[in-house]
Amino acid sequence: MGDRVLDRDTQQVAVQRVTEEPVVSLSIFQRRWRKFKSLRRGYYSLLLLLGAYVLSFFLPLLVTNKALAVRYEGRWYFPAVQSWLVSLPLIGKLFGSDFYSGEFFGQRGNAGECNYRLLQQQYEAEGGRNIVILAPYPYSPLEDVTVQGNVAFLPPLERDPNGFVRLLGTDDRGRDVFARMAYGFQISLSFALILALLEYLIGVPIGAALGFFGGRFDILVQRLIEIWATVPFLFLVIIVASIVRPNFILLLLLLALFTWVGITVLIRAEFYREKAKDYVAAALAIGVPRWKIMFKHILPNALVPIITYFPFSVVSGIGALVSLDFLGFGLPPPTPSWGEMMSVGLQHLATGKWWLMLSPMVALFLTLTLIVFIGESVREAFDPRTFSRLR
Amino acid sequence: MWEYFLRRLLLTIPTFLGATLVVFTIIQLAPGGPLEQQIMALRMAMGGEVAGGGLAGQTGAMIPESALEELRRYYGFDKPLLLRYLSWLGLWPRELESYIATPGRIRNIGQGRQALVEKTADGYRILDPQTGQELKGWHAEPQPSEHGQERVRLYRLGFSGVLTGNFGTSYTYNEPVMQLILQRLPVSLQFGLIGFILSYSICIYLGIQKALSHGSPFDLVSSTLVFIGYSIPGWALGAFLLMLFGTQSFIELFPLGGFQSDYYAELSLLEKIADRAWHFVLPTIAYTVGSFASLTVLMKNALLENLSQDYIRTAFAKGLSEKRVIWLHALRNSIIPITANIGYIIGLFLAGSYLIELVFNIDGVGKLSIEAVFARDYPIVFGFTVLAVLVRLFGAILSDLALALVDPRIRFK
Repeated sequence: MGDRVLDRDTQQVAVQRVTEEPVVSLSIFQRRWRKFKSLRRGYYSLLLLLGAYVLSFFLPLLVTNKALAVRYEGRWYFPAVQSWLVSLPLIGKLFGSDFYSGEFFGQRGNAGECNYRLLQQQYEAEGGRNIVILAPYPYSPLEDVTVQGNVAFLPPLERDPNGFVRLLGTDDRGRDVFARMAYGFQISLSFALILALLEYLIGVPIGAALGFFGGRFDILVQRLIEIWATVPFLFLVIIVASIVRPNFILLLLLLALFTWVGITVLIRAEFYREKAKDYVAAALAIGVPRWKIMFKHILPNALVPIITYFPFSVVSGIGALVSLDFLGFGLPPPTPSWGEMMSVGLQHLATGKWWLMLSPMVALFLTLTLIVFIGESVREAFDPRTFSRLR
Repeated sequence: MWEYFLRRLLLTIPTFLGATLVVFTIIQLAPGGPLEQQIMALRMAMGGEVAGGGLAGQTGAMIPESALEELRRYYGFDKPLLLRYLSWLGLWPRELESYIATPGRIRNIGQGRQALVEKTADGYRILDPQTGQELKGWHAEPQPSEHGQERVRLYRLGFSGVLTGNFGTSYTYNEPVMQLILQRLPVSLQFGLIGFILSYSICIYLGIQKALSHGSPFDLVSSTLVFIGYSIPGWALGAFLLMLFGTQSFIELFPLGGFQSDYYAELSLLEKIADRAWHFVLPTIAYTVGSFASLTVLMKNALLENLSQDYIRTAFAKGLSEKRVIWLHALRNSIIPITANIGYIIGLFLAGSYLIELVFNIDGVGKLSIEAVFARDYPIVFGFTVLAVLVRLFGAILSDLALALVDPRIRFK
């Protein structure tokens, strides 16, 4: 039983039992958080999405064709962990190489990368003391038909020539659809989150300055923003991407260049309202520096649009990335991406390869819907409007 | 108020110029733009190996300097960016045609015209050999002589650009861009209009029903559906619907894209309408889904807000029926906020649907321009950009105008 307090935000009638529970005055954010938690659809969406996102950082251990552990002639090896460490940015180089040839583990005739799935079958057939422990889903998003046993267009739940079952089938190059989908989730969400942060980094200071200083500066920059907003930005990004072939970072910057306008407009309006209030005048009077007034005094009061806009910014970020990938102008191949999977799916739709389209679609729908649910609940918690209806 | 709209109209001019300048600059400055693409293509055609992925900087190894210069002139790269932009607009003279001639000899300059270049003390004079009068707009510049013969390049300058209705000629279709766009506009317009009407009529009705049953299971379920629709890009939903209903994998109900059947011409009128409708269903859903959420929610909230107002209380108090109060009193005021969206949504339908047209293989303006991006057909790309900018600009004005018409209280200053 939670404390029952007078809650202006939710307009709930206060029921106080003075003897049992003392009245606790909650901060506005505590109250908003409480309201958010009470909106179950959004709250569970947040938990689910957060859980999936955190889990997605462990994908190199969960969904990979590298074995978690190999015991070969009495020694233990951990290829998946090693490959994960090597893939880390900056410090990755310290861990050397993650390459083990097939022959190294006694896979005869395979001088290339060891095929741990076959290795496991081989060790089991040999019945010796060698062991391979595979990842829970032992396929990688990039391994294609060049890896022995992979076939293109394997329908879901059917066995490939080595007898392995692919959960969601394989695509036109024999790559595992489930693995690509999972890695695509991590990439899409990370991309959209970073993009939204970048947008804020550009948009919030500009909007704050416009609202705070106003006057001619405001009018001038407003005109420029209007011009900027009139540019059909996704089309322009498509054109530029078709010319330059961007990588992850360039694509982020390119999109951020055009998407910051949305939050700027909101922040400007908020600052415009706030700066007329007494506390700003008081701060000015005692000589607080302007930047300090803007970012320490007004900004905390202007958080509502900042927070409520965020989920929707992430949604449009994912949408933009998927659209660009779909056209082939997004992240460079063979990056696992939903947009690229959909474009392959559309190509092979007429020939009945439905699973190529279905999997990324469902993943996209689910992810976006979860974020929109979160966004809706956040908006409701932060910006409550209750309607009373007569009759 | 008319003064306000006049001012708005005048303000579109700087915005139009600014927005097109932004697009123009970004595309022109991007490494590997039109000129470099052409040079690459030329090099490939000449059988030259492209060295180490180099694009800019190392031009001219295989291509003669004169051809390079020709290309630069053709794309206007012999001029600074701003002049290039102005001549693209048609505010600065550009070279319209060019011929190589020998001074003192008559040269055919196409369309039955002839020209005679005469050397004078300070340059050249270009005459019409028949009348002996000077030809307007023609200029000549010396060229390196060939086989001991003096040669000049004869060219005509003139104003021709976006503002004079010349969007250039498409590289792939070899037709004027304006003509290509106009040919395909009706198709896009049909989808846009049907989508627009459908989404407004459904959303208004749905919004009303949701407002009247606020908090009911119907409200919650439809909210969920509407928000799922909001979050998904229209083209993605379209592709999903194609998968479900356009192929044999699930239920084959609708065609796998296209605008009409191959045998369309042989059908009777009724069959023609049915055929169109059959092709229209899935794309129209994809078109409308994006605007659905915002319209429905706006409508619902506006009606809810109005229903809690005093004048509604008064109307109920004086004994009017609920139907009358809602449909006559509250609804009129609730329409206002969604009217403000008209311009934006029209813009979305006209210029925001290139991905949907691509997915459904509909030969509209959008598909034309996205395929132009693939083919690097820059005149079409620029043409579509201009169209998109114009649609956005006039959409905003249209919104204000509609708002002023619907709400007599609104007075624009």
